[in-house]
Amino acid sequence: MSGARERILARVRHGASRRAVPPNPPASSPTVAASFADFADALAAVGGTAHGPLPLSTLPGLVEGALPVAARSGRRVVEATAAAWLPTGGWEVLDSNVDPCSLADVRVAAVRGTLGVAENGAVAVLGRDAPNRAVLFLAEHLVLLLEAGSLATDLEAAFRSLPPDALHAHHLTWISGPSKTADIEQVLVMGAHGPRTLQVIGVETEG
Amino acid sequence: MTLPLDQRARLGLPDAEAVARHDAAVFDLRRRRDEAVAGLPEFEALRARATAIKRHVLDHLDRLLETFESQARAAGVVVHWAEDAAGLNGVVEGLLRERGVRCVVKSKSMLTEECGLNAHLEARGVEVVDTDLGERIVQLRREPPSHIVVPAVHRRREEIGRLFHRHLGSPAGESDPARLTEHARRSLRPRFLAAQAGITGVNFGVAETGTLVICTNEGNADLGTSLPPLHVACMGIEKLVPGLDDLAVLLRLLARSATGQPITAYTTLLTGPRSGGELHLVLVDNGRSALLGSPRHREALACIRCGACLNTCPVYRRAGGHAYGTSVPGPIGAVLAPALVGDASARALPFASSLCGSCSAVCPVGIDLHGQLLAWRRESPALPRRLRWTALAAGALMARPRLYRLAGRLARWTWPLLSRRWPGNPAAAWLRDRELPPHPGASFRARWTRRGSAP
Repeated sequence: MSGARERILARVRHGASRRAVPPNPPASSPTVAASFADFADALAAVGGTAHGPLPLSTLPGLVEGALPVAARSGRRVVEATAAAWLPTGGWEVLDSNVDPCSLADVRVAAVRGTLGVAENGAVAVLGRDAPNRAVLFLAEHLVLLLEAGSLATDLEAAFRSLPPDALHAHHLTWISGPSKTADIEQVLVMGAHGPRTLQVIGVETEG
Repeated sequence: MTLPLDQRARLGLPDAEAVARHDAAVFDLRRRRDEAVAGLPEFEALRARATAIKRHVLDHLDRLLETFESQARAAGVVVHWAEDAAGLNGVVEGLLRERGVRCVVKSKSMLTEECGLNAHLEARGVEVVDTDLGERIVQLRREPPSHIVVPAVHRRREEIGRLFHRHLGSPAGESDPARLTEHARRSLRPRFLAAQAGITGVNFGVAETGTLVICTNEGNADLGTSLPPLHVACMGIEKLVPGLDDLAVLLRLLARSATGQPITAYTTLLTGPRSGGELHLVLVDNGRSALLGSPRHREALACIRCGACLNTCPVYRRAGGHAYGTSVPGPIGAVLAPALVGDASARALPFASSLCGSCSAVCPVGIDLHGQLLAWRRESPALPRRLRWTALAAGALMARPRLYRLAGRLARWTWPLLSRRWPGNPAAAWLRDRELPPHPGASFRARWTRRGSAP
């Protein structure tokens, strides 16, 4: 196989003309603070629901009300870094490396998000906050907890605002709304394989 | 690829009703794309940056590949190289055999379509389950995808209902898309849980970080890579971007150009395997390095497979993807196939175009698609026979003004005969799906002269 590597690279080297220079980085646009309301609108447009911002102290009592009716019973799990934000009863805190197939019956999963994007309703979920990546897609209903001020206007600004170790823990997943498909006559259907609903709860951590 | 193009078009879209429905369905994607573009004032600036990014990538591809490989290795990815389809199929087969894998879930990858990976693995007793809903539909029908983003766009809900009734046990007569999707979900979930490996394509590779980027709306690639212990990712060598800033630009364009969404529901960046799992990456050439060496045609390698040029193309919209006989159809397929496939049928594809330029106008990475179609025509070793005679006759006419005028008069007399359907009519192929426009009654020259003498 190393023969294949050398031959491919030799042909590519021959074809690569080395003329083009890297494109200029864009003129840094003035930093516009993204509002939670803009993010909520974008999330609604992709089929998700934003709640809040809610003060951290009231959160445990309010999470229940944010869940869709279908999510009010069944197995509920929470990844470790989001556990502190949820009521102590009723949520099973996951270890960092559970057999993913054992999560197939999860009704609701709650995970901490790092950054929301106002242009597309996407939330960045880092590997350290979702070590059991499969649960993001196996859960029937997904709840992302996001500091309400952790927002970027667009995806480029969002990538620049990520913490430097964002790629260190296997995955970084941008989640924009619930799982969806339009493969049958272009009719949009939620819950193709993964979560049927997505709730993003904005949390006020200060004051 | 043995049937002529117009006969292949009949396979996927058998009648005028199917053509009209397909046309409307894909043009609706084009309309959504237009709305998304209108909602983003910086779209043209982004497009210019994306074009510059991809040009830079192609010009420095060897160095970027080396950086990408070493970064991916450092993160724990096992990197393989494949020169052609047989190389890719062999690597994947070997990985599965070494681990005793009999059952694989797969998410969408045009590269593995190009290389015939499914058929290769199935012939060796591996069960391959396509998990994207559209791909699952065409897999159950045992036909190729007809579109790179919506693979089953040529099929009606009733056909899919009958298919699911036969294969998935959904109730007879069920044709509601939501309920059919639910049946597919319930039949595929156990396959995800039982699979011993997941095979995916790759939308982008980030050279600086060795990261693989996979975009889906369904989350099927994510289930397929987070449940089984082995993930095999198949990636064309041209799919690199230098860094995360560049990735952000292309991600802002990809879904908007494909379906009008601001971003796909899931955009997954994988840097190394999950703990306890294996991540193997196969970098595939299959003609790409040779295309890179052709300065006149290399820009086609900038393609990010959004499908916008398909959705806007008047030929694709009426002919359907199966007419092309290639894994990637539409304008981009017609400029990739002459290089990557190269047989007579592929070389004929650039002639099946109106050169209207709509493809170039929507391409998010600025590929001059209609210029490429024209460039391939110029290099064609032989014009298709019918076209050669037509071109010769037209050339002879246009060089002789008197003969040209005579032919014009002749055409006026024979027009009623040409526009009627009768056996042996030389315009029969045109008339099969269309009417000839009514004759204007007088030649352009006659009307111009009249206009000139008017006050």
